[in-house]
Amino acid sequence: MADGLKRERGWSGSAPPFNTHTAKMVVFALLIINKAGGLIYNRTFSPGLQNLTSNDALILAGTFHGIHAISRSINPAPQPPPQPNARRPPTTGIESLESSHFRLTCFQTPTGVKFLLFTSPEQPNTDVVVRRCYELYGDFVVKNPFYSMEMPIRVEKFERALAGYLVRP
Amino acid sequence: MSVYSFYIFDRHTECIYSKRWAQAAIQRNSATSALSNGDVAPATRKALTVEDDAKLIFGTVFSLRRIVRQLGGDDDSFLSYRTGEYKLHYFETPTQLKFVMLTDTRVGNMRTVLHQIWATLYVEYVVKNPLAPIEHPKGVGVSNQLFEGGLESFINTIFSPQS
Repeated sequence: MADGLKRERGWSGSAPPFNTHTAKMVVFALLIINKAGGLIYNRTFSPGLQNLTSNDALILAGTFHGIHAISRSINPAPQPPPQPNARRPPTTGIESLESSHFRLTCFQTPTGVKFLLFTSPEQPNTDVVVRRCYELYGDFVVKNPFYSMEMPIRVEKFERALAGYLVRP
Repeated sequence: MSVYSFYIFDRHTECIYSKRWAQAAIQRNSATSALSNGDVAPATRKALTVEDDAKLIFGTVFSLRRIVRQLGGDDDSFLSYRTGEYKLHYFETPTQLKFVMLTDTRVGNMRTVLHQIWATLYVEYVVKNPLAPIEHPKGVGVSNQLFEGGLESFINTIFSPQS
């Protein structure tokens, strides 16, 4: 199956820029989108993705915010039978997206903040990584008394903690 | 493992074929034949019609495809996305024909399956059909008996009703 997959990937065009055998498991970038769809944090950790201008990144965040909402409304799966005295489980939007060059893991917090983690397709446990980023956000950004909610994140300790966690030596 | 729906979009962004499968349990209870059209809307549907759904799915796929190109470069291609409830698989031919399939989340990579549908069913029964028009406005010529039957049996072999 893995062999077939590689052939499939090579089929759609020229060869990918890196060899899928030797590609390191890497985290490419982290984006944080606030509950209104605005980009509040954008950081690249290792090269691999195309460089985006800050304008493009804002557009991407807004587009993804919309698609995330649409993906909830086109849910074709049957609803589980309603449990008495239980709230209906909210449908989730896009949780992970795969392309031939990267994988995008999206984690939406109960307050509507979205964490978008771009990794290589081989990276395991991306849901754990993205939850850890959420913890760091809670510790260093939300608990910072000088940070105003929904605004772009410029917190030095958060930068350092993320770099310590996501950048491999 | 179960499949929910299947769509083909042409290069003019039009949905030229769509098919929805009712849940296996419902289908067995109502004892419909294997070739009946799976147009039974699941109970969750209220306001959205099949056409509305197709438009939403096209919009989603179109935007995601553009995002993926923007981030991964021109030779990158969008493969699939997964939510908590379903998974959407995507395959695009060099002629910009788009094949989309919605399944449950336990299904693995379906790109080869969509490629098979294109190569062995669509090309054989629609493209090579001398009576079918070159373009398929409103799906003319796509939903012929051979294609529908082939698709139904192909899907049945992959998603057998027992599992």
